[in-house]
Amino acid sequence: MSNTVIIWVVLPIALGLGLILLQKMPKLSTALASLIPLVLALLALIFSESLTLQFLGRRFILADSLTVFGRTIEITADQLRMIALLYTLCFFWNLLGRLFDVSQWSDSLSLVITSLWVSVQFINPFLYSAVIIELIALISVPLLSPRGTPAKAGIIRFLSMQTIAMPLILLSGWMVAGIETSPSAQDLVLRGALLVLTGFILWAGVFPLHSWLPMLTEESHPWTISFLLTIMQISIALFFLKFLNQYAWLRNIKDLDQVLKWVGALCLLSAGVMAVFQRNLSRVLGYLYLAETGYIVLSIASIQQGGLELFILSLLPRSFAFWSLGFALSALRQEMDSDRFDFSDLSGLIWRYPLISILLLASLLNIIGLPLFALFPSKRVIWSLLTGESLLYQLFGSLGLLGMIILFLRLLGVMISPSNSAMQDKQENPIILVPVMLIVLTMVMAGIFPHIFSAPVQDLLVTFQNLLP
Amino acid sequence: MTEVFQSLVVYIALLAALLNLVRRQWSLNLIALVVQFICLFPVLQAELPLQLALIQPFTGLMVTLILYLTLISVGGIEPIDLRPRPTSGEVFRALAGIFLIATLRTFLPQIQQAVFPTIPLDHLFLSLGLILIGILQLGTIREPLYLAIGLLTFLSGFELLYIALEFSFLLAALFVAVNLLLAIVGSFFIVKNVESETE
Repeated sequence: MSNTVIIWVVLPIALGLGLILLQKMPKLSTALASLIPLVLALLALIFSESLTLQFLGRRFILADSLTVFGRTIEITADQLRMIALLYTLCFFWNLLGRLFDVSQWSDSLSLVITSLWVSVQFINPFLYSAVIIELIALISVPLLSPRGTPAKAGIIRFLSMQTIAMPLILLSGWMVAGIETSPSAQDLVLRGALLVLTGFILWAGVFPLHSWLPMLTEESHPWTISFLLTIMQISIALFFLKFLNQYAWLRNIKDLDQVLKWVGALCLLSAGVMAVFQRNLSRVLGYLYLAETGYIVLSIASIQQGGLELFILSLLPRSFAFWSLGFALSALRQEMDSDRFDFSDLSGLIWRYPLISILLLASLLNIIGLPLFALFPSKRVIWSLLTGESLLYQLFGSLGLLGMIILFLRLLGVMISPSNSAMQDKQENPIILVPVMLIVLTMVMAGIFPHIFSAPVQDLLVTFQNLLP
Repeated sequence: MTEVFQSLVVYIALLAALLNLVRRQWSLNLIALVVQFICLFPVLQAELPLQLALIQPFTGLMVTLILYLTLISVGGIEPIDLRPRPTSGEVFRALAGIFLIATLRTFLPQIQQAVFPTIPLDHLFLSLGLILIGILQLGTIREPLYLAIGLLTFLSGFELLYIALEFSFLLAALFVAVNLLLAIVGSFFIVKNVESETE
């Protein structure tokens, strides 16, 4: 038991599978599904300084690796903050999961999925993580495809993309094996880089292979999809950084930063332009993820200008932003008793559900990056970095941002317009006043004092020694 | 003699994959899937010891069994009808599949020389052929069973290719897990579709 891999990977998977047996006792299941990741996150923070702990006169020493089928999974003390981050996300989503009508598998599978994302970061050779990401995609299916409806196009496309990505990553490792000792093999390096980048583009749903994102957000419960996409976005970004950190041939490719900047800017542009024309709020969620992927790619592209710090600075605010947006959409879905979020159904929403509407609008403003909100400090730096780049990047970034602002104004217009809905008299539960105010206040506080959110994850950078200036 | 047999097996496997791409008869598709997985064995045995060469075909059989049991439970298994008139969609898929395989066969020596010089030609032909047919299958359907078959075909082609490049017990175990989960997901989709149709 005294092994980091067993505590933070094997045990949570076993407990997650055990929670399946508790589906008939949903309250107990949810309580455990919240408590377990909380305990794991706290333990990870406690041991993040050293794997030795002196407690009540006893000394606990954790081993940092486990061998499975001849391969090693290694989790050292300085990597435990990353684990704490992932389990914290799981805790916050599971904590409120029972409030909404999510899948009965949610408690158990969310824990298993988080553990698998943890293992993705630490398996050795790390290319094998590609197969684990495929496993995660398959395990996510019961959460993404609700009962009583046929399998829709979004989930099918999602599975196809994730499956096609896996071979690309695995092949890239084989293709460039030994490249470090023969640096003249430029063709091989380019082929390997192409495979890696295409694999990540498919995984993360980057433009132009992002079509599954809005389809999936439209088909799935907002609470579930916001959890799965948030943890996936962060984990894949960390995994990409691991690639850059491990592979000198990849990070030293000439103009890689320019390619990444193009990819990031195109994500911002496509997300903003397409979001403007959406008529369904659930699909907008997908485009917001696309835009945030763009910002992550831009910060990774700007490593030389402190992009890593930017990425770390935005980690918790971004997760919190999607958590609050997921909460607002889920609460709305619950109150409206409908899983359709067509703009036509949202007219007069602010008069019917003022608190949820405020939370929804504040969450959107937060994600867009309005001043005073949590994501503003990191986005402001990215925008200022873009101003020093080519005019096209600036144009793409500006149009993307403009698109998001127009979307917000459109939504605001719909929400404040008079409603003819028969549900006019329906009132929302005033008990949510306190959580809504707390969430909005936290968003603003994190915007004014950004270090509150960035300090807990600052040490994540230690893992990527080769990327630090 | 062994080479002729190996080539024959490769073509039978590709034919089975093409049949799954073209025809939409559940019983026939499952038989073709079994044939496709069994035909992997001789090709794998040329590269691996017997016990390891059995893993992929055996997993394939288990996967097919899972799908078969699901289809029985939803009443989807019907007697095979070999003589229905081909639809335009079937003709299109058949032509597209044959074109892909023919193109692959034409350029195979160059691909082998440029990218995979250590892999035997037949092995490479089968693995890349399955990958291409799998992708074509994924691009032309939405039905759950065919999604599962498309993904399984794609994955079996890739596994075959990767085994020739590098073998790892951990990777083999992970692939078995992926295949089995894929079959379970396919079954989940089939049951969901039937449930939603009857509601």
